[in-house]
Amino acid sequence: MTIQMFFLAFFGGAAVWFGIVVFRTHSMVRSALALLFSQTAVGLMFLAMQAEFLGVLQIMMMATEMSVMAIFMVMFMMDPGGMGAMEMTHQKRLSLWAGGLGVVAALAAIWLANWGPAVAEVPSAAEQTADLGRELLGRSMFIFQSAGLTILTAMVAATMVAIAPQKERPE
Amino acid sequence: MSFELMIALSVGAAMFGTGLYGALSQTNLVMIIMGVELVLAAALVNLVAFWRYLHPDEPAAQMFVLIIMAVMAVEMTVGFGIAIARFRSRGSVEMEEARELKG
Repeated sequence: MTIQMFFLAFFGGAAVWFGIVVFRTHSMVRSALALLFSQTAVGLMFLAMQAEFLGVLQIMMMATEMSVMAIFMVMFMMDPGGMGAMEMTHQKRLSLWAGGLGVVAALAAIWLANWGPAVAEVPSAAEQTADLGRELLGRSMFIFQSAGLTILTAMVAATMVAIAPQKERPE
Repeated sequence: MSFELMIALSVGAAMFGTGLYGALSQTNLVMIIMGVELVLAAALVNLVAFWRYLHPDEPAAQMFVLIIMAVMAVEMTVGFGIAIARFRSRGSVEMEEARELKG
């Protein structure tokens, strides 16, 4: 077993385990923290796969995103601390079947497909970042700019929806 | 065949299944968003694994990762915009109480 394989399996296991914890705990703050740890483990997997820029970006972005999510959860949940052990699930059996079938189908495709030989060498971190920069400001510039514009539009639209005048809340 | 690629893709598959279960089983909008985030994280893992083990010389593969990250940000923005609107009008983000959205 190579060192890379060990770290991939370790961080991958952590990402999946914390992903499961998100839906197993009653405390919403713990859920948000578990998702943060899961996404951080994904970022660490990127680092193990020698994608330094993407790994650091993933960790930084998710730390911010999950902190915002934790604030929203405390704001909106009836029982954010989970002290009342409220049931907040429905159609559990259907969901388990759908999730299970999804995993089995994906695993079957992964292990039965012929992916061809793996490439051993990757460009250095500096080279990767420079290549990505050239890609973003060259061939993929239109897509990149579209993504930025989409985020801006979503931010404006979400703010407008959130601050729109509301009818009186029914008691 | 590379076992590292298989491990990464299998982790992606497990995260996809977990996220799908969460998105379908939770009744709270914020928890549903969390499930979708896990599904998108699974896509990220797969994309980076494909880049690393099959096409490390192709920066377009890394660009796709940035696009998925943008999709994650947009999904959260729109989701929380709807959550705030729903909370202000109904006092709850429980999707069991949002059956009128069916039309």
